[in-house]
Amino acid sequence: MKLFTKFLLIYLAVSIVVLGIGGIISYHIIKDEIDKELKFEFLDRIDRVTYLLEQGKTFAKFKELDQDENLVIVPLDTFKENNTQVSDTLIWDDRFEREEKNVKVSAFRNINDTTYFISTYGNMIESNDVREAVISILLWILGLQVLGAVGIGFVVSGPLFKPFRNTLNRIQNFQINEKEYLKAESTNVKEFRDLNIFVEEMTKKAVSDFNNLKEFAENASHELQTPVAIAKGKLELLTETNLNEQQYSYVEKLETTLNKLSRLNDSLALLTKIENHEFSTNETVNISKIVKDGIDAFQELLSLNNLKLVTDISDSVILKLHPSLAEILWSNLFRNAINHNIQNGKINIILNCDYLEISNTGKELNTEPFVLFERFKKGEQNSESIGLGLSIVKRIVDQNEMPISYTSEKNWHTIRISLKSVKTD
Amino acid sequence: MKILVIEDNQDLLENILTYLKRGGYRCETASDYDTAFNKIMSFTYDIALIDLMIPGGSGLQILRELKSARPQTGTIIISAKNSLDDKVTGLEIGADDYLTKPFQLAELHARIKAVYRRNNLNGDDVVQNNEIAIHTKKMETKVNETLVDLTPKEYDLLLYFSSNKNHVLSKQTIAEHLWGDYVGHLDNLDFVYQHIKNLRKKLIKAGANDYIESIYSIGYKFNVNRRSS
Repeated sequence: MKLFTKFLLIYLAVSIVVLGIGGIISYHIIKDEIDKELKFEFLDRIDRVTYLLEQGKTFAKFKELDQDENLVIVPLDTFKENNTQVSDTLIWDDRFEREEKNVKVSAFRNINDTTYFISTYGNMIESNDVREAVISILLWILGLQVLGAVGIGFVVSGPLFKPFRNTLNRIQNFQINEKEYLKAESTNVKEFRDLNIFVEEMTKKAVSDFNNLKEFAENASHELQTPVAIAKGKLELLTETNLNEQQYSYVEKLETTLNKLSRLNDSLALLTKIENHEFSTNETVNISKIVKDGIDAFQELLSLNNLKLVTDISDSVILKLHPSLAEILWSNLFRNAINHNIQNGKINIILNCDYLEISNTGKELNTEPFVLFERFKKGEQNSESIGLGLSIVKRIVDQNEMPISYTSEKNWHTIRISLKSVKTD
Repeated sequence: MKILVIEDNQDLLENILTYLKRGGYRCETASDYDTAFNKIMSFTYDIALIDLMIPGGSGLQILRELKSARPQTGTIIISAKNSLDDKVTGLEIGADDYLTKPFQLAELHARIKAVYRRNNLNGDDVVQNNEIAIHTKKMETKVNETLVDLTPKEYDLLLYFSSNKNHVLSKQTIAEHLWGDYVGHLDNLDFVYQHIKNLRKKLIKAGANDYIESIYSIGYKFNVNRRSS
């Protein structure tokens, strides 16, 4: 429910209750006031009758005074003290065919030793009319209030709440890796200003935390590369001295290990970068070209490894993907296919608008294929590979919502990536 | 050849100096921004190796100043940052090459030679190793004027050998030079042996001496003083 609708509903509910109570009160006040007025008029009439009687006038017919049909003047045989009574009485109304509440005034007056009973009743307006009038007034008021509320609502949800909606919009569009915090916009409403300042501080902190984390990951990776570089250099210098075969093989092993360490470091830094969404641009990339160039560049390596390559690659498949990510994705898949192949093995590559599929011969898996997408999971634990290649692939496809499948049948391994979510029209 | 090495890490500096001095280069060093700035402004170098992170300033700034003051100096960035941005920025400012730590000293040496050839000899240099002549512009190899038909990688391998002649190059080093990152993940480096076998065969067939010396079948040395019997 929108804030405006909610506001309107609450306003209406409160109005109805208030107007209902107000209606009852108004009805009674108006009715009392009319009755009071009527009572004074009747009392005055009785005083005038008394005066006329004192002057010796006789009343024979009805309506002799003020056309009052209900005026009753009766001389009594008995003596009664002067007395005036005002009361409500129910009188049958012919017109409405029901009993109506009327004001009745009766009095005893002693005039020239005779006691007269003088009485009259009537109502100026029927209570029904009063009720109808009150209700119609209230309905008018209610109608105007609804109009007013809708008007206010438009003002509130329009110009008045504009800063709020702006802030909300900016929060929704906020991306932490863009390194831009949300600067507080100026507004003269205190609450909105507070909100904007709070949002500014919060996003500032989020951005700085994010940068710190990123910097730490990157720095850690850089700082590690220099010692590795030193060690590698020393080993190279060591090979220049006269080493015997055993010493030399130790040096070689150390070199391999150091390379592995530095690759591990690179891959972890890359994973962090991908996870930090540092590659989320709106660029497009020609994956056909990347795949073809990659194959061309490694033709010699494939033939040296006696690997047979069969390709079916469509021209200019353009993807909405960061070019670096596309490179990394492809090189990891291709490397994986070469690295885990067997003697005189085969690699098949299919690329079209819908999917990229790379399958290769290899040793039979003794684990579920999908496990290999996890970090540091390898088909063979003692192999030289660091077990991050496929997790990098997974991370890239996940981030771009490209479904990936890995199936293995006997000695054939197939990885298929659907390109539907990133293809351009 | 006169080389300025701008690097703040003393151990790494020592490695580079030791390796390059053996190759007969005159090397000078700078370990911080001010020293580096003074040296590039006061002297002329053929090649400057620039670390991007140095105390007192940025390597990129040094690169800019060097390029405006002495554009003929060849420049190679050495960085621990394997980030594309830095690479692109560095090359845009005018660096001739970009090398990521950890690198092989042999690789650095080969790159220095390549940059020197490009800058000073218009790339039209003939690298002569006794009877083997490598024409770097045409990417051709001749043995006693006989053209040797090498694949691109074999040519690359030969040039790498001749850039680092008489140095021991391990299989790992060679594989990394030829195939870069790809090979780092390969378990089996036997294809290096295949490469070398093919290259050696082609050279001998063209009438060259067999200069490629196997070191305990783990590494190789391009020994130009070696005479096959």
